[in-house]
Amino acid sequence: MEKPRRIAKFTVHVIIENKPYINDPEGETILRDLISRGGYSDVTSVRSAKLLKMVVKSKSGREAERTVRKLCEDLRIFNPVVSTCTVTLAGQAQS
Amino acid sequence: MTGTLTVDEFRYLKEKLSREPNSIELDIVGAEWSEHCSYKSSKKYVRMLPSKGKRVVIGPGYDAGVLDVGDGYVVTVHIESHNHPSAVEPFGGAATGVGGVIRDIMSMGTRPIAVLDALRFAPITQDGAKRTRTTGVGGKGRVLKSKWLFKNVVKGIADYGNCIGIPTVGGEVEFDPSFEDYCLVDVASIGFGRRDLLVKNAAEPDDIVVLAGGSTGRDGIHGASFASKALEGENRSAVQIPDPFLEKLLLEATIEAVDQKCVKAIKDLGGGGLACCLSEVSDSIGNGLDVDVAKVHARESGMSPAELMISESQERMLFITDDTGLEKLKAILEKYRIPYSILGSVRQNPDLVVRFNHDVVARMPFQLVAHAPLAERQAKRPHDFGRYVAVRPPALPKDLGKVLLAMLANPTIAGKGWIYSQYDHEVGVRTVVKPGPSDASVLRLDNGKFIAAKLDGNSKHCFLDPYAGTMGCLSESCRNIVCSGAEPIGIVDHLQFGNPEDPEIFWSFTQAVNAIIDYCKYMGIPVVGGKVSFYNETAKGPIKPSPVIGALGLIEQESWITKPALKDGDSIFVIGKTGDEMGGSEYYEWYHHITGGTVPSVDLHADKQNADAVMKLVRAGLVGCAHDCSKGGIAVALSEMAVHGKVGFDVNLDQLPGSCSRPDNLMFSESNSRYIIGTARPAELHSVLSGMDRISFAEIGTATGQRQKQSAKFSYKGRTLVSVGIADIESNLNDSLAKIMKQ
Repeated sequence: MEKPRRIAKFTVHVIIENKPYINDPEGETILRDLISRGGYSDVTSVRSAKLLKMVVKSKSGREAERTVRKLCEDLRIFNPVVSTCTVTLAGQAQS
Repeated sequence: MTGTLTVDEFRYLKEKLSREPNSIELDIVGAEWSEHCSYKSSKKYVRMLPSKGKRVVIGPGYDAGVLDVGDGYVVTVHIESHNHPSAVEPFGGAATGVGGVIRDIMSMGTRPIAVLDALRFAPITQDGAKRTRTTGVGGKGRVLKSKWLFKNVVKGIADYGNCIGIPTVGGEVEFDPSFEDYCLVDVASIGFGRRDLLVKNAAEPDDIVVLAGGSTGRDGIHGASFASKALEGENRSAVQIPDPFLEKLLLEATIEAVDQKCVKAIKDLGGGGLACCLSEVSDSIGNGLDVDVAKVHARESGMSPAELMISESQERMLFITDDTGLEKLKAILEKYRIPYSILGSVRQNPDLVVRFNHDVVARMPFQLVAHAPLAERQAKRPHDFGRYVAVRPPALPKDLGKVLLAMLANPTIAGKGWIYSQYDHEVGVRTVVKPGPSDASVLRLDNGKFIAAKLDGNSKHCFLDPYAGTMGCLSESCRNIVCSGAEPIGIVDHLQFGNPEDPEIFWSFTQAVNAIIDYCKYMGIPVVGGKVSFYNETAKGPIKPSPVIGALGLIEQESWITKPALKDGDSIFVIGKTGDEMGGSEYYEWYHHITGGTVPSVDLHADKQNADAVMKLVRAGLVGCAHDCSKGGIAVALSEMAVHGKVGFDVNLDQLPGSCSRPDNLMFSESNSRYIIGTARPAELHSVLSGMDRISFAEIGTATGQRQKQSAKFSYKGRTLVSVGIADIESNLNDSLAKIMKQ
């Protein structure tokens, strides 16, 4: 249970990845040159992404998530034409 | 349903086929007949460009122009833009633009040895953004957007060039409010190879069609049609993702295939995808093709034949080979682990036949597909053309030294170190004169000669007077070549305008073409390639007319290579006249926020005479350093020469040839055909120039190197007009751009 009005630290994850229909040379290369060549033929697709872990001081997890979502859009941390940006609360950070 | 065709085009297609085209055929023709691929508005005009010359092996119309540089070697050159994709996704758009032009060079069978780029953005400073067209929107947001575009375009170019190992050796950047929410990204590439290995696209029936490189996906579908429309909102399907490492493999494989003589034709896949590539190859070899697109190695399952035909997935090349060549080609592609598919073969009939698992899904004469009906465009001189000529000149600023410092900090003029420090400009060890302290970039060729290259444009001049402005760009790029010690041997042009269906915009295009015809005919310099890009518009309106000219020069001897760095004690000469031609100058536009005035014109006779004179002086060893006078005028050019040479100078403006009514005009006029030369042998230089028929020149001062007294000094009518420390000049020139980008 979060205690109301107390400032705590939360970890928020931001995942930026190319939209599904846009190709991803990095993922394709990992699949082709590493995984498939290494004999793991059951793996049929690899998509690469960038993961940012942010620790945010906030009153609540939901607010921390809101802050991060806003900053991603304000600061053009991703290009909405190319990428999707998923923001998720990972939990309270250890202080 | 006419697809992307106009009603007339659809009717024409139907008539020629004597039947209704099916939807796949419509998609194929729609891609090839887009303005981007077919040049339907411009073909009639660009055909008139002078393209013959003693060095021209292959002129316009191919993937790249080819020039003979002696000893069995050729240089290839091509220019392309990637404006629309870069405006929505600057990193990927610019990077794939580099990839595309590199493949054009490879298509001739030559190795790309350099990339140059000409970039245009909206202002990146609050001050510069004040005069943007829209009002009411916060200036800060606009500046942020253009900085974001600028930063990522540069990063995209750097990333692609650096990864693939081709040096980005030079370029040019201009900022102007007409590029708001948009950008122009022109990339030129130079290739080098053996003349006897040139791939000239000659294939016979039963030869085999091979598609190699990246897998085909749904990315970039309708890219060519997208580039043939004004940019309204963000088109999501036209985003292309670069893969420079795959392109590098494709490059090495292509060069190896050329060396082993196992390919008969090569064509890169660009705008319009397979549809354009197949119809153009078919047209150039003069035979039909029969291909099965189900064989294309696709990234996604369930792609329709139409999607496979018009996808613009990057890093793909088409090869045509014969039975014996195929085995060699397969071995090469497999060695580099490049995916490929064998699509079909060349046929001795006039049809382009597309199958999908053996079923014929499209069958059309290749000549019909490859040659869109030309569009008749109206050209109309704007009724108020010249409305900008009569502007009230600004009041003479009290402190012209401060003006000079402000001019040097102008992002269009300031040193571009922030940009080219991101580029690897030395990889390949050919780069002799690097970007920065140079007029043109110089590269070493295998036969002991050197090639010089430069791109130039000036939308501010071209907006006020497209004819004079375009001619100014030609003159400037050739001056840059001459200043580097070279003789101009060919040019490429990239003509960028708004919507050609607007008669006034189309008129500006015809003016630009006329200027190129007139200039190149007079100078005897052939146009070896080019590109036309229309529909460069956003919801806010069209861009200013922005032709970009690329010039190539040849330097026969290493000792002729010249740089613009003054030395202590040099006498400073100016060749060419300075006039009150302030229209579109950076001084009016950037400093005074005035749009208007008389645009500098080009006196063809003087332009040629001055260029010939400088070439003669260079070869006689009389030139210590040379620099062209263009944006920012004499004052900026001299400042650059002083900073590069780490000296000061003392010049008398009264000595300048020509006539100017005011001292600020003398300093900042952008009159054409002017050269600044520093020499340690003034008497000899004087006597050579005096022997030439009525050439305008003068000795205007000296370079001074004493440490304490290093300053830029301009005197006028017997008084010191400006005296500014070189340290201040240097920091404004060299640090301004990086400072702006850090903010």
